[in-house]
Amino acid sequence: MLFILDTMVSAAADTTEISASSFFGFMGVTMALVLANLGAGYGTFKAGAGIAAIGIWKPEIIMKSLIPVVMAGILGIYGMIVAVLLSQKVKNPLEYSYKSGFAHMASGLCCGCSCIAAGFAIGIVGDVGVRGNAQQERLFVGLILILIFAEALALYGLIVSLILSQS
Amino acid sequence: MSIMNWGNPYDWTAVEWQSATWGERFMYIDPYFWSYFGVALALATSIIGASWGIFVTGVSLLGSTVKAPRIRSKNLISVIFCEAVAIYGVIMAIIMIGKVQTIESYPQDQMAQCYTTALFGGYSLFWTGVSVGLSNLICGIAVGVTGSGCAIADAQTPETFVKILVVEIFGSALGLFGVIVGIIQCSGASFLKDCL
Repeated sequence: MLFILDTMVSAAADTTEISASSFFGFMGVTMALVLANLGAGYGTFKAGAGIAAIGIWKPEIIMKSLIPVVMAGILGIYGMIVAVLLSQKVKNPLEYSYKSGFAHMASGLCCGCSCIAAGFAIGIVGDVGVRGNAQQERLFVGLILILIFAEALALYGLIVSLILSQS
Repeated sequence: MSIMNWGNPYDWTAVEWQSATWGERFMYIDPYFWSYFGVALALATSIIGASWGIFVTGVSLLGSTVKAPRIRSKNLISVIFCEAVAIYGVIMAIIMIGKVQTIESYPQDQMAQCYTTALFGGYSLFWTGVSVGLSNLICGIAVGVTGSGCAIADAQTPETFVKILVVEIFGSALGLFGVIVGIIQCSGASFLKDCL
């Protein structure tokens, strides 16, 4: 069978066997993008609902309250970076080993899952934060600090996925 | 048991399939199944996302218009943003259908390489479809929920419309990310590379 150790550690695939390694490589590309977009979308609409709620009675602070939405959008950019990077590596079907396929799958999952987690955090904190900021201006700095900690989670995932994509 | 010993899997008998491992069963799923299923996913999930966005924003728009009829025409732009998501899905599906290449036959001595290349094309299109479809799904939901908030806020305070539209634009960028990555991903898809 093809999932044997020899095939997995060799740099070039054995050309007398069929190889399904590109399935996992492309899975990494997709997972990086899709999961990051899920997080970005959740952050956008959750914080956006809060902004719409406060905009009714305090429209002058809407522009400042867009910060959670911008930070959620950045998560989508992270996912796209990793997806484009990985899709350049999943090129030649005949020289794409299982090791590379699994490494790229892991890379995509790392970036994607971290970004979806960060997106949920940014969305929920952003929603409550902008509603509170409309009532008490001194909340703003605390809100920004919490959002930065949440964004750092996505950055950790991006770093590990960039390291994995070099395999 | 490798393909070189047994020849073309489409000619296998029931006895040969009995002793096939799960890995071989997975790999002998037809590459064309993967490609066309990817096309279907790209289209279907994009359209589900667009419809989700349209109904979420539509109910708020229609409800708010009862008391503030002036918002009706301006807030239709949220519905148009959601419709654009469906158009992205249609465009990508048509591009992906154009990438599927027909393989007439395999030369027997290059069977493994040619089939691996066909699998490469099939997997590429499948995962492209998942990328595009799920990105457009979340984009549609995000734009819909934000558009719903926009309509309700606009009905009460007109100056908020343009500012909340900025949030919708951030949301619709997600669909564009999906299309960009989808185009890059399926541009390398080739069913016939280095073969025939």
